[in-house]
Amino acid sequence: MKFRSLIIRNIFRNKSRSFLAILGIAIGAAAILGLGLVTDGLAASTQQALTAGAADFSVIPASFGQGPGGSGGGFGTNQSTTSGFSTEQVINQSTVDSIQQMSGVASAAGVLRSRIVLNGTQQPLTMLGINSQNLAMDNVQLTNGSTFTNSNEIILGRTAASGLNKTIGDELTISNQTFKIVGIYQTGDFMSDRGAIVSLTTLQNLTNTTGVSMILVKASNGTSADSLSSKIEQTYPNQLTTSKSLSGFNRMNNGIQTIESGSWAVTLIALLIGGVMVVATMMKSVSDRTREIGVLKAVGWDKRRILRLIIGESMILAAIGTFIGLIIGLGIAEVLTSSNILHGIQLAFSGNLLLRAVGVALFLGIVGGLYPAYRASRLSPTEALRYE
Amino acid sequence: MNNENIIEIKNLIKSYDLGGIVALDQINLEIKKGEFVSIMGPSGSGKSTLLNMIGALDQANEGSIKVAGYDLMENKDFSSFRSKEIGFIFQLHNLIPNLTASENVQIPMLQTTSSDEEMINRAAELLKSVNLGNRLDQVPTKLSGGERQRIAIARALVNHPSIILADEPTGALDSKMGDIILELLREIHKKEDVTLILVTHEDYVAKSADRIISMMDGKIIS
Repeated sequence: MKFRSLIIRNIFRNKSRSFLAILGIAIGAAAILGLGLVTDGLAASTQQALTAGAADFSVIPASFGQGPGGSGGGFGTNQSTTSGFSTEQVINQSTVDSIQQMSGVASAAGVLRSRIVLNGTQQPLTMLGINSQNLAMDNVQLTNGSTFTNSNEIILGRTAASGLNKTIGDELTISNQTFKIVGIYQTGDFMSDRGAIVSLTTLQNLTNTTGVSMILVKASNGTSADSLSSKIEQTYPNQLTTSKSLSGFNRMNNGIQTIESGSWAVTLIALLIGGVMVVATMMKSVSDRTREIGVLKAVGWDKRRILRLIIGESMILAAIGTFIGLIIGLGIAEVLTSSNILHGIQLAFSGNLLLRAVGVALFLGIVGGLYPAYRASRLSPTEALRYE
Repeated sequence: MNNENIIEIKNLIKSYDLGGIVALDQINLEIKKGEFVSIMGPSGSGKSTLLNMIGALDQANEGSIKVAGYDLMENKDFSSFRSKEIGFIFQLHNLIPNLTASENVQIPMLQTTSSDEEMINRAAELLKSVNLGNRLDQVPTKLSGGERQRIAIARALVNHPSIILADEPTGALDSKMGDIILELLREIHKKEDVTLILVTHEDYVAKSADRIISMMDGKIIS
């Protein structure tokens, strides 16, 4: 008989007790993985939205980042409303050309952003106007169809297409103009995936504007994106700012940190519950087997072997609980995202997160077994043998 | 049996509750290698406490006790001593219920050997010698009290101990089964050349030994 087979068989001696310990660990592991997938996904999606995809940074009006007390008065006062469109438009088209000419700039793409509430819907549709050759700078990836080639064509974000129940070949009427849907895209940014994209000129015509809302900038090889963004801010003082200095970005970052802290707090509570369950299970297991441990000592087992027996049992319970917890965590996160409860958030699965979930749950199992194992190893053989 | 003492006890005192209860009072005892000794006395006379001292399951407060060359008054872990020198047989067989007869016998060997094959063969050999060769894979719950006690005897012998300590081995059995177990212990004593110390409160059991030590109130009276 192998020592490890004795450990495994001991686990199955009291199935309901072992089930409780496994459940405790599984809840902990599921909480770490499930909440981690969602919060990491939320952080990644938001970051992506704010750093403008494949571009190194985005340039926006300085007033955008100054908040309600700033000179521009924030988001709202920079908007114009035409034909139902609410448009962010403050940068002249000529500024896009000027930035494109600056040394160190590989490419600069103007993007007009506007929102409109379509007939029969409640959520506003975010529309982007951007030239098709610059789509990659906004991290737009076509998952179906092709990009627009004329002013009557439009591509829809994955979430928007699903929400509007539209697909390639369908028509979409926006402000009395009918567009043919030629492509479906995704960006990994939950806000952008809820929108639609047409060419810059088309959106400018629709909204009766000439400028852009932001400029996506990619630095040329050998140029530091940081120094280039500083240079642009210095060239246009109090007029333009870059995404890295946005107070809105900082606020969003703080928000993500708060979400992550909340997620960790929930996880720690789940882990605490799991830990208590493992300790209680192993304590009960040791207590129930006091006499047996006395016999093992009487037949010559030393303290180390008793320790290894009890810790081994708790480690296996933890391993089974972790495995089940990972499946539950993945399952719950997948159900939440596929059922659109977590609207548009892409799960961010990473090896680091998996290691965190496995590591913490296993650690918990081992620590949970330590005290009961210590108690068992210190039992006096004569007292243990007298135990009823 | 030869003339060499395997157990030497001098002025041994064991008390509990800070000396309030004296379980062993000035015990002096010598037991020769290969001897079959029974320790007899009423309940509470100290016979099981003395057995626990000899098996290093408990430690005395005063005096000296040397067993198989080990000074048991030293302050150290005697698990290795128990593993090599001592085989315990309890009144309640104390087998692990979810393990088979063979696996129960192998339990002490987990501390002394890593060879699976050696453990399985040794357990089979011993179970065969106690007439349980056909019960190797049975769990204790499916066996009679006498069969369980025979497994416990096989377990006590598995590491080739020099001393077998049996605490009321027939106490939980009917007289017929008790006789069978007693006969088996006598056979093992002769065949394995071990020192056998048997604690009992029954006359007829005690009389099967080479020597009877009587105890009363923590003292050896004869």
